[in-house]
Amino acid sequence: MTAKGLRLVQGGLPKDSPSSPSGLLAELYEKHAAAVYGRCRWLLRDPDEARDALQDVFVKVLQSMGEFRGAASPTTWILRIATHHCLNVLRARRAQWRDEIRELSKEKRHETESPDRREMVRAVLAAAPDEAQEVAVLYFVDELTQQEIAAELGRSLPTVRKRLREFLACGRQMLGVEVASDDF
Amino acid sequence: MTSECSAMKVRRMHAGELAGAELEQAQEHVRACAKCAATEREIEAEREVLLREVPFPQLAAGVAEKLAQKQRRPASRWMAPLALAAGVLLAVSGALVLRPADTDRVRSKGGAPAQVFVQDASGVHLLAGPVAEGAHLRVSLHAAGSRHVTVTLVEPGEISTLYSGPGIEGPLPSAFEWTGRGRATLRVDADGDVQEIPLQR
Repeated sequence: MTAKGLRLVQGGLPKDSPSSPSGLLAELYEKHAAAVYGRCRWLLRDPDEARDALQDVFVKVLQSMGEFRGAASPTTWILRIATHHCLNVLRARRAQWRDEIRELSKEKRHETESPDRREMVRAVLAAAPDEAQEVAVLYFVDELTQQEIAAELGRSLPTVRKRLREFLACGRQMLGVEVASDDF
Repeated sequence: MTSECSAMKVRRMHAGELAGAELEQAQEHVRACAKCAATEREIEAEREVLLREVPFPQLAAGVAEKLAQKQRRPASRWMAPLALAAGVLLAVSGALVLRPADTDRVRSKGGAPAQVFVQDASGVHLLAGPVAEGAHLRVSLHAAGSRHVTVTLVEPGEISTLYSGPGIEGPLPSAFEWTGRGRATLRVDADGDVQEIPLQR
């Protein structure tokens, strides 16, 4: 990324270096913004809210650059931050979310084709316990294995399986359909 | 679901996180896997949506504004280096002598009007046309009624906050020199009303 910039007329502060947060912002945009924005749009269903969430996620990343740089997979790390942030937003407007699910549930029952798995996952998220939500996104959307999820979250494999079972139980109860899975 | 076939692995490959044998293995797998090829197409589509709906200057300005808001909170110890890097200008230059001007306000859309004065070899005048090398710029606001105003300089790959504070009437305390090339945008956000002023060299 070309370094351009700004210079004070008198006194002032050093020019940004390529490794400065503003330079990092450009790098983050290039590598991760599309995936983060996609995740925010998918979860929040509103471009304006997704834009706002993308900004919030990037602010969080800039606040935690050491953690970001030290992550085994920065992509996994930043998508987890995005997912977590959006789930919190959704929890804050849970009532509205539940209405949307009820509508989706009615629609799905009238469909003859199997509904898109990710849409089903998104619909079930609201009803799932908080701890199961992130596990479900990592498993069904990001397609990490259960072992990878356990390592990523620092949880045991049985715990991850338990969370997935909880999530699937919510799916059955909420929509009256199975959330497709290869391993259950 | 196997670790060879996962949306996250394809994403990691696109982000340049895979190397060596792992990268070669992933590339070979994606070429032969319809599901992973679909994930690749989805990644491309996401990028098109991002560029269309959230271009970098817009994101950078939004992030700068949120960082500036956090900076105003005294407990934000981590903000010091970020503010530094964002180029928060605190020096009072006094280098420019501004002449009042009541015409030719630059506004590209609604919101608080702002004027940009230029001091170059020919003297001090309102911005009109390319910015000369070494010219000093100074933003004058007409935003006395606004609760909060942020002025940022947005360039490809760079974002600098020039001012973040209550709405004022008159020139900002600091002048600056734009050292970049090509194009940049001065973005004035007064209580959510945004004005964008293009700079070019």
